[in-house]
Amino acid sequence: MDTLLEIKSACYKPPKSFSMTGEENEAILKNISLTVAKGSFTGIAGESGSGKTTLARLIAGLIKPATGSIILHHSDEWKSIHTNPVQILFQNNGEIINPFRRIIDTVQEALKIRNNGKPDSASKPEEILKFVNLNEDTYTKKGYQLSGGEQQRAALARIIAAMPELLILDEPFSAQDPESRINLSNLFTEINRKYGTTIICISHNLQLLKTLCSRLIVMYKGEIIEAGNCNEIFSKPTHPYTEYLLKAEQYSLTYDELKRIPEN
Amino acid sequence: MLSVIIDEIKLKADKGRVLLSGINFTVPQNSILTIAGKNGSGKSTLLLTIPALLNEKFYSVSGKILFEGKDVLSSGNTELENIRRNQIRYVMQDSANSFNPLKKFRYYFEDILKDKTSQKEASDLFDYFMLPGIDKIFSLYPYEVSGGMAQRIGFIFAFLSKPEILLLDEPTSGIDSPVANLLLLKLKEFASTGNNCIILVTHDILFAEKVSDRIAVLNNGRLSELYPVSEFIQNNNEFSSLY
Repeated sequence: MDTLLEIKSACYKPPKSFSMTGEENEAILKNISLTVAKGSFTGIAGESGSGKTTLARLIAGLIKPATGSIILHHSDEWKSIHTNPVQILFQNNGEIINPFRRIIDTVQEALKIRNNGKPDSASKPEEILKFVNLNEDTYTKKGYQLSGGEQQRAALARIIAAMPELLILDEPFSAQDPESRINLSNLFTEINRKYGTTIICISHNLQLLKTLCSRLIVMYKGEIIEAGNCNEIFSKPTHPYTEYLLKAEQYSLTYDELKRIPEN
Repeated sequence: MLSVIIDEIKLKADKGRVLLSGINFTVPQNSILTIAGKNGSGKSTLLLTIPALLNEKFYSVSGKILFEGKDVLSSGNTELENIRRNQIRYVMQDSANSFNPLKKFRYYFEDILKDKTSQKEASDLFDYFMLPGIDKIFSLYPYEVSGGMAQRIGFIFAFLSKPEILLLDEPTSGIDSPVANLLLLKLKEFASTGNNCIILVTHDILFAEKVSDRIAVLNNGRLSELYPVSEFIQNNNEFSSLY
């Protein structure tokens, strides 16, 4: 399979001007190397503060690595398009959708930009909004009138309109009940299959990643400690920290076991 | 003997829409009750009704919420203030937003950390929840910490004030699994000692099974099932079918 994304020993450290104390910041990502195949579904797990979101921002080009390189082997058509081939579904959807614009206009605009300003007959905003399971009466509502779950779907519709090659989902399930979790994960699988979009899903919930992804990456303190086939990692974790996370998710650890975080 | 009795609660919104109806249950001392249900089934609304936090202008509540022989719903304002201040702690879903971003954390803890023992207890709790030291946290503003950290500080604040009734709305939503596991152990310890009980709302059914004594399932504002945990797992009921 072709490679879409290649990260070679990337490090990231926030610039000194971000520091509140005036001292050098600590590195958030250390020596990250990974490749992502075209059309694959990869999961990134790890506890909060392990650098998952920073890695996503690095891949999308929102921040630049201090050392190392990030290469995206996107197709040539992106040379003439003014959108980013990498799109992120952020954690805080409510702040991303414009509260004063109708949802349908937001999606329409994304479509227009994607087609370099030419009206496109192939896909219509209604179709995309229907695909993400939004009710018809929400199409003409404004951003602030939607509930949290609807805002998330609207943000996803806008991303689909931009037809990215790589879609990064940042904690997409954090505020969903079990039923909408199932609907949403079906939707992601369908995007992956229907549009051939490569997807990277970030979550601290390993069980959810197991149902979605074929490949899993586990991060700890800014480093990748385990990467490989999802089922293999679940049945036979090689790093003690992965084992620790899996057990903690079943709420089966005692206080002493929890305090002894394995560092290898 | 403290117990919370919820008797025939019915809640209507301003246009006559019924949000909750016919809710009856009792939470005995030293027990944990979990309220589960889908999004929009009225879980959080029920939790807000217990300390009478819903605005009377827009909601009308009938029924009784009794503890220690007092009815919360028919209490006067000063009485209600006393109950809320001394007997109930409510950890909201978005704890990060329940702190004033312009007041350092020290401000919130000043009242309860007056003597040496409570200070020791506080620093033990900070250590327990894997947070940086107490001095470091107290010099921070709420906007400077992550959502998960703010939530943990919310828990610590609730535990330190030793309420008789502890209400938790989605305690595991913002924290990762090792901390959720720690919280589970702490909640069990808290409920088993002293004169108190816990009511919590969660989506995390595994957490609910491990932590609670009984699980209540809300469906469209009605209490459809109330089980001891052992029966909840055995019965193939509507809620467990979602997992």
